[in-house]
Amino acid sequence: MIRYALGHMISCKDASRLVSLQEDARLPFWQRLRLRLHLSVCVACARFERDVRFLREAMRRYRR
Amino acid sequence: MSAADYSRDLDQHRGYLMRVARLQLRDEALAEDVVQETLMAALSGSGFSGKSSLRTWLTGILKHKIVDAIRRKQREPASASAFGSIESELAIEDFDALFGERGDWDTEPADWGDPDAALGQAQFFAMVDFCLEKLPPNTARAFMMREVLDLETDEICKELGITANNLWVILYRARMSLRQCLEQNWFAAQRAAR
Repeated sequence: MIRYALGHMISCKDASRLVSLQEDARLPFWQRLRLRLHLSVCVACARFERDVRFLREAMRRYRR
Repeated sequence: MSAADYSRDLDQHRGYLMRVARLQLRDEALAEDVVQETLMAALSGSGFSGKSSLRTWLTGILKHKIVDAIRRKQREPASASAFGSIESELAIEDFDALFGERGDWDTEPADWGDPDAALGQAQFFAMVDFCLEKLPPNTARAFMMREVLDLETDEICKELGITANNLWVILYRARMSLRQCLEQNWFAAQRAAR
């Protein structure tokens, strides 16, 4: 199963889109797995995910 | 708290409410109307329970006033939108330039250190305002509907007349742009100061 997912490694471009998408929709299982795998080995995209979550928190504070 | 105190507290949020309303309506007079209606409703209502912050509660009222205003506007025959065509904001390819040929980052997101420290600073939120203003109009509007007014995805699609896919592209655009803007105008300077 892991090999199957690795065989479909996604690019940072795709990962960045999924990082945004997961804030607004529930990702299908395989997409979620591929994204998690990518984020576990890619510092840049992991940072991007943190930044997107930070943005969300910042906007929550914005209206508080 | 006296009525005068309450009224003064409400008024302190007028600037914030106007910023949100402007980004949603792009119509100064209409924005003033909905903010005025919001403050009037807040004054006359029995609503504020103190469970949320006053601002959060006002945002909830404003949301309904804005949705009403958007609907009224859509019914007007000649409502040439001040927002311009949404199609021009739907091209996800705009951001392909940030990635190399194999889809990796051209410039990797930099380390923001402890970004939460920024959340306590008024200047940081002034920068957030600046970055929101720089977004394309429909993009700013959709992002605010999602993150500030707390509308559901399908409600936003209905109000803007777009598909869920369109909305995801627009929200991606908003997040990429805001991240870049805050990186350039805030976090890069923070790093330099360290």
